[in-house]
Amino acid sequence: MRNAITSRLNSLTYKGIPVWRHAQVIQWTVQIVSGVIVVALVAWFFTNIGNAISDRDIPFGFSFLSREYQTPIGQHFLPYESSDSFLYALVVGATNTIFVSIIGVILATALGIFIGVSRLSGNWLVSKIALVYIEFFRNVPLLVQLFFWFYIVLALPTVRESYSLGDIVYLNNAGLYIPMVTGNGVAQGFVWMVSAVLAFAVGYLVHKLRARREEQTGSTSYPVMSGIGATILVGLVGWFVITAINGGFPLTITTPEAQGTFGRFLRGDGFELSGGIMALLIGLVMYTASFIAEIVRAGIQSVGKGQTEASRSLGLSAMGTIREVTFPQALRVIVPPTISQYLNLTKNSSLAAAIGYTDLTNVAKTMTQTAPALSIFVLIMAAYLAMSLTYSLIGNIYNRRISF
Amino acid sequence: MSTNANSGPAPVLPPPLLNRGAVGWAHDNLFSSWHNSVLTVVSAVLVVVGLWWGLRWVLVDADWTVISTLGGFLAMGEYNTEKACAGQNCFWRPQVSVMLVMVLVGMAWGIAQGGTARKIAIVATVALVAFAFLPYSFERMGMDVRLLLAANIPAVGVGWALGKYTRLGSIRGVALSGIAVFVLILLLLRGIPGIPGLEPVSVIYWGGMMLNLLLAVVGIVLSLPIGIALALGRRSRLPVVKALCVAFIEVFRGVPLITLLFMSSVLVPLAFPEDFPLNRLFRAGIIITLFSAAYMAENVRGGLQALHPGQAEAGRALGLPSWQTMTFISLPQAIRNVIPAIVGQFISLFKDTTLVTIIGMLDILEFGRAFIQSYTVGGEVIYLDRQEELFIFIALCFWVFTYGMSYVSRKVEKHLGVGER
Repeated sequence: MRNAITSRLNSLTYKGIPVWRHAQVIQWTVQIVSGVIVVALVAWFFTNIGNAISDRDIPFGFSFLSREYQTPIGQHFLPYESSDSFLYALVVGATNTIFVSIIGVILATALGIFIGVSRLSGNWLVSKIALVYIEFFRNVPLLVQLFFWFYIVLALPTVRESYSLGDIVYLNNAGLYIPMVTGNGVAQGFVWMVSAVLAFAVGYLVHKLRARREEQTGSTSYPVMSGIGATILVGLVGWFVITAINGGFPLTITTPEAQGTFGRFLRGDGFELSGGIMALLIGLVMYTASFIAEIVRAGIQSVGKGQTEASRSLGLSAMGTIREVTFPQALRVIVPPTISQYLNLTKNSSLAAAIGYTDLTNVAKTMTQTAPALSIFVLIMAAYLAMSLTYSLIGNIYNRRISF
Repeated sequence: MSTNANSGPAPVLPPPLLNRGAVGWAHDNLFSSWHNSVLTVVSAVLVVVGLWWGLRWVLVDADWTVISTLGGFLAMGEYNTEKACAGQNCFWRPQVSVMLVMVLVGMAWGIAQGGTARKIAIVATVALVAFAFLPYSFERMGMDVRLLLAANIPAVGVGWALGKYTRLGSIRGVALSGIAVFVLILLLLRGIPGIPGLEPVSVIYWGGMMLNLLLAVVGIVLSLPIGIALALGRRSRLPVVKALCVAFIEVFRGVPLITLLFMSSVLVPLAFPEDFPLNRLFRAGIIITLFSAAYMAENVRGGLQALHPGQAEAGRALGLPSWQTMTFISLPQAIRNVIPAIVGQFISLFKDTTLVTIIGMLDILEFGRAFIQSYTVGGEVIYLDRQEELFIFIALCFWVFTYGMSYVSRKVEKHLGVGER
């Protein structure tokens, strides 16, 4: 009996090999089976979703995008009215996410490098302080930290009793108010920008020329100093020229002002960072910095000690060794994981939902009450994927530049 | 030649004061140059001011009664309330679960004969038993709770004896016991209908740190195998399998966990038939596991890519079929090499369990916050301005676990010689 089955099975051959041992047959079976399972699951989900939404009045699709959103958005950096469309509201939310990400990335990088270098300091006390910082902030959930900072920000004095710094910077439980620089009208602002760009371009050119001269002749040419000097010089000349032509100051510095009866309201033309955004930034920066610090430490430690010793014995100064030998080599190790930390920071900024800052996720979450959830999910997924692709693009460009 | 030759070797002088003892250490590490000295003084002032300010806050200004009032709620949420388990006492079930875990820890100690396992077992036992002696009002924490906490000492002892003297004292024994303990704990917490004292408690009332730990354990245990499968799928030569795995990994890695959790609370109920038994806890657990698995897959893939192809080739040359080459040669080495990344992912999974707060589940963070908003004495909400205490306490709770995990990971890496071979 058993033999009969075995021989029957053995006669099931493909190109002379029993099918269950033929590599191609196995591979195709696996692929077809897994494909069918996934397609069946997805089809089942969509049938269920279709059944569920046909019971409600929410139409499926993307037609809602042009409708008026009619919901206020807390803080926004693009002009926004509730009569604007769903699509524009999503763009406003995405801008908020991008704004927090960019500021957060800059601050977290600075703090992370500072702490990472402190961790390697020869000074025992400094190194241990950095260690405590890293071990604490890295190991505590970001959400707990955000709630903590948000609570601290809310516990600041009220608008009426704001902390103020020379009456131009105000800090209170509604947020931080700082002066902002604007051009006097579009045309003059443009002229100002052109001259600033020109100043930096000249500075960079001078730096390059001096550096090449130093490389070729070996004489000390101060490339960095002369570059900065040239930038300042051209900038100053441009400033005076623009002022002379305009017959006035080319830029306006607008400051927040205490207004209203008894200075109860704070308004003005300064820049306002709401409490939610401050708490979010502090939390994100301190959390991400602890990870970047560890990356920086590992990167610097990955450069062999012989490199430093060789550089010193060739006569480079301690600073010169760090600048020309250690740091460029450490960067190769540091940059790729740091970029993935930037991506994490961007994604973590969606925790803003917990402390009332209207980022992309928060806007989308509110939208699901009046628009089809599936369409919104597809849209924000695309938005976040676009952001992470941008980061990987930057990372890939960098990797290509540094590869040997 | 000279008279010195007869006077013997010169006496051995002690090293200069600046190079020995505490002074030498301070000179080398704190005052080696003038700018180092400035740095030391500045940071010492910062540390002293910070410590003074912090200690004064902890000892004088802070009102820790918010934590003692919350007490068991932080540990198990609504589990032991009247609406969760009507007419019975439920506090002992999580406590016995902890004891079962301590038996496992004891077993590890008994097998390892000291070292890290002993350290962990002793520290955990001391910490648990210390809770039994908290100066704490007896109505809130009765003698029965304290006795069950103290019973962790015999629990560890039993585990130690099992590990040392019985056939369970092997890696396989501990693994099997781990699975058994996990099932037992789930049965214990969920309850069995018909057994007095073990009446079922609906999972929607599971909360507090218990919820965070359960989600983390389930996530950790499931995400590693799923992640390995995804990593293998992504490296597979089969285009359909590869495309599916890449799509899954990139979607789950590209979107924030919180967005996925939101959408799970909106979309998943729609995607299943109405009577499908899928509550909030399962939804959150599934999403967290899949999210973590996507990251795990990339870690494992990194380990596989870093492995020299000669290893797999040697395996094939010895006549092993490809699945055996993968299971016994490639994967063990790949996983060993990425242990730091895997444990890092475990830690971030554990921290991410707090995100269930956002979809309104009462984990330790959300329960604490909700409690502070609603706890009244004489019609007055008294703890509204006592949130720092709560957040700092929760931060410390998480820190203990996450730091413990990274400590164990460092020891395991050292034991397995990660980065040395």
